[in-house]
Amino acid sequence: MKPRFLLVTTICVALLLALSTTVLGGAWKGTITIWDCPRWRDANDNQYHWMERKIAEFESSHPGVKIEMIKVPWAELAEKLNIAIAARDWPDMAPIDISGGTVKLDHIDQGVLEPIDPFFPKDELADFFPAALEGYTYKGKIWGVPQAMTVHALLLNLDIFKERGVEPPENGRWTWDEFVEKMKKLTFDRDGDGKIDVYGFSTYVLKGYHEIFPMLFMDGATWFDEARNWNLNTPEAVSALKKIAALKFEHKVTPQTMGTADVGGTFQAFANPEQRTVAVEPWASWAIATCLTSPKYKMNFMVAEYPIGKRGKPITISGTGGFVVFKQKDKGKLETLMEFVKSITTTADQLEFAKNYGTFPARKSAQEADPFADTPQMAFAAKMMEYTISVPRHKEFMQIDDRLQAELQLVFNGEKTPEQALEDAHRAIKRYLK
Amino acid sequence: MGLQKILQDIARHKWDYLFVLPKFAVFVAFIGVPVAWSVFISFQEFGVFQTRWVGLDNFRVAFEDDLFLIALKNTVWYALIVMPANVLIALVLASLIFPLSRKAQTFFRAAFYLPTVTSAVVIAMAWKYIYQPDVGLLNAFLRMLGASGRNWLGQSSTAMWSVIMMSILTPPGVGIIMYLAAMGSIPNEIYEAATVDGASGFQKWWRITVPLLKPTTLYLVVLGTIGSFQVFSQIMIMTRGGPGHATKVLVYLIYETAFRDMEFGLAGAYSLMLFAIIMVFAFIQFKYLNVNLEYY
Repeated sequence: MKPRFLLVTTICVALLLALSTTVLGGAWKGTITIWDCPRWRDANDNQYHWMERKIAEFESSHPGVKIEMIKVPWAELAEKLNIAIAARDWPDMAPIDISGGTVKLDHIDQGVLEPIDPFFPKDELADFFPAALEGYTYKGKIWGVPQAMTVHALLLNLDIFKERGVEPPENGRWTWDEFVEKMKKLTFDRDGDGKIDVYGFSTYVLKGYHEIFPMLFMDGATWFDEARNWNLNTPEAVSALKKIAALKFEHKVTPQTMGTADVGGTFQAFANPEQRTVAVEPWASWAIATCLTSPKYKMNFMVAEYPIGKRGKPITISGTGGFVVFKQKDKGKLETLMEFVKSITTTADQLEFAKNYGTFPARKSAQEADPFADTPQMAFAAKMMEYTISVPRHKEFMQIDDRLQAELQLVFNGEKTPEQALEDAHRAIKRYLK
Repeated sequence: MGLQKILQDIARHKWDYLFVLPKFAVFVAFIGVPVAWSVFISFQEFGVFQTRWVGLDNFRVAFEDDLFLIALKNTVWYALIVMPANVLIALVLASLIFPLSRKAQTFFRAAFYLPTVTSAVVIAMAWKYIYQPDVGLLNAFLRMLGASGRNWLGQSSTAMWSVIMMSILTPPGVGIIMYLAAMGSIPNEIYEAATVDGASGFQKWWRITVPLLKPTTLYLVVLGTIGSFQVFSQIMIMTRGGPGHATKVLVYLIYETAFRDMEFGLAGAYSLMLFAIIMVFAFIQFKYLNVNLEYY
């Protein structure tokens, strides 16, 4: 056989193969790289078992497709992803909440993400709650597939309520004054040594965390008003912040570390059986699942709304979690990726998350399956979704949050008055608001 | 030196240069290129797919930014206390160890050098526990003495001091080793002559040892200044710049600006300014502390 003939034949075969997998609709083959973060533990203490199972299922139904998972702790996700984006070495898919600033809106403007709209027909999107889709909507397009929603709520240690003979709020609802009265009764010297051992309330103030914000909003303020003007220097915001600070300095129903402690220490004070020195703390819904299912932290607790202030109704902060797909050059790979994202955000998956991971389904069909029939705490928190305010969509939100929370910390240190702190915060963030 | 002379020199010493090449290549790849890149991007608005020339805009923003000034003030404060304290502690400890037997010297050298080979993160975590307000060792000790504890890292008035105390109380292993080596090279005759003249132990230390250690002191002062201006891991682990901005230092600000805010251009400008500040301090230190010593 002549070498030239051999070469031509080889090229023709290669072209035919290429045609068969692209123009003729053949399946894409290759490697997909995804990032995922720890979920709930299985019997082997593995927190990645859910994604590993989903990958195995997808690979078996898509011969030639290999999915590599990079395991990333939640605390490192934003930083690692930012570095990956700066180096243009991003994964194909990652669990990102775009409202949290993990992927900056600037990145979306620059084309780092793929919109999902072309791959989700309207009837498919109709199964998602509008609030969940809103969490991924920017400039008229949807930039991720919502998997779950979270909400902040107050967790009440019922054993401490019982010990002090304090009635928990009826139907989980209370006014600010009722809340303060109960916190006073729940702050006490347990061992009779003249020192307070148990406190009514505690939380922390840290950038990126918004447990205290529903309280800050109780008298009517939010981050921005409807005209997108800064709203946290208004009398409503000052009044709410004064009330929260009074818990520490006037009513003395919080530990000395309230506002300055870290996340882990605050949770341990509430849930660790060796401590349990705080009766009420605000947490995102993951804490509900932890206190329900974790062998270490399982406890007798209920979920209540944030106390009602001058706004006249309870308020909470919600978030939407899900998966985003990063910019792809290969159309076949993009289609396969979207197929994979669909396969991990089904009704069954969202039900599994709701039952094991302390999140609320983003799909109506999953919610209709009543995932919280056996967990009244989660069912109650789910109802709070109707009072939610979302973290605002602002390009510089992380910087704004940093400057604001730095000033709030100084209030709880007793170093600034609420008026002064909110005014200083406004002055500091003016340049980001332009 | 002309290019031709340089090439001739390289050809003459080609084996020397060949042996230096691997280390030099690593230096260029991991230090030279990133430094050059940070200089370049400090004049750019950094984008994912393209960057845009903005001239001195990043430097203007840096000077107008109150956070930069706060971080600069905190960093200078930290450096001005930690660097002299560490040098002084190293000198005193080395002076106490030097007269001991060889075995005792070896023990103390190893003991004081241990923190140098321990991760700064581990040390910072241990100190975070020491400062913990409820169950921390420091407050437990104070309560034992009948005093009340404090929220050391949670109050602006004590947070920076707590970080400074941690840096001072962590033994300066390198300084101790350097001083011990330098003390060993001081000729004994000088001390003998001083003894004949009736000098006391302290006089010998103050009039002979300390002045003759000046080159080592200069080296430690310059290194200590650079290290203090680059303080980061303690802040990252213990306070994250808080409460408020009480412990925000320059390298932490650079880190946040680059890896949280993705403002690589501005972070590059901050880095160049930090470099210039360190250069100024080093220049002053060389000018006033530099000395050439020869023992006769």
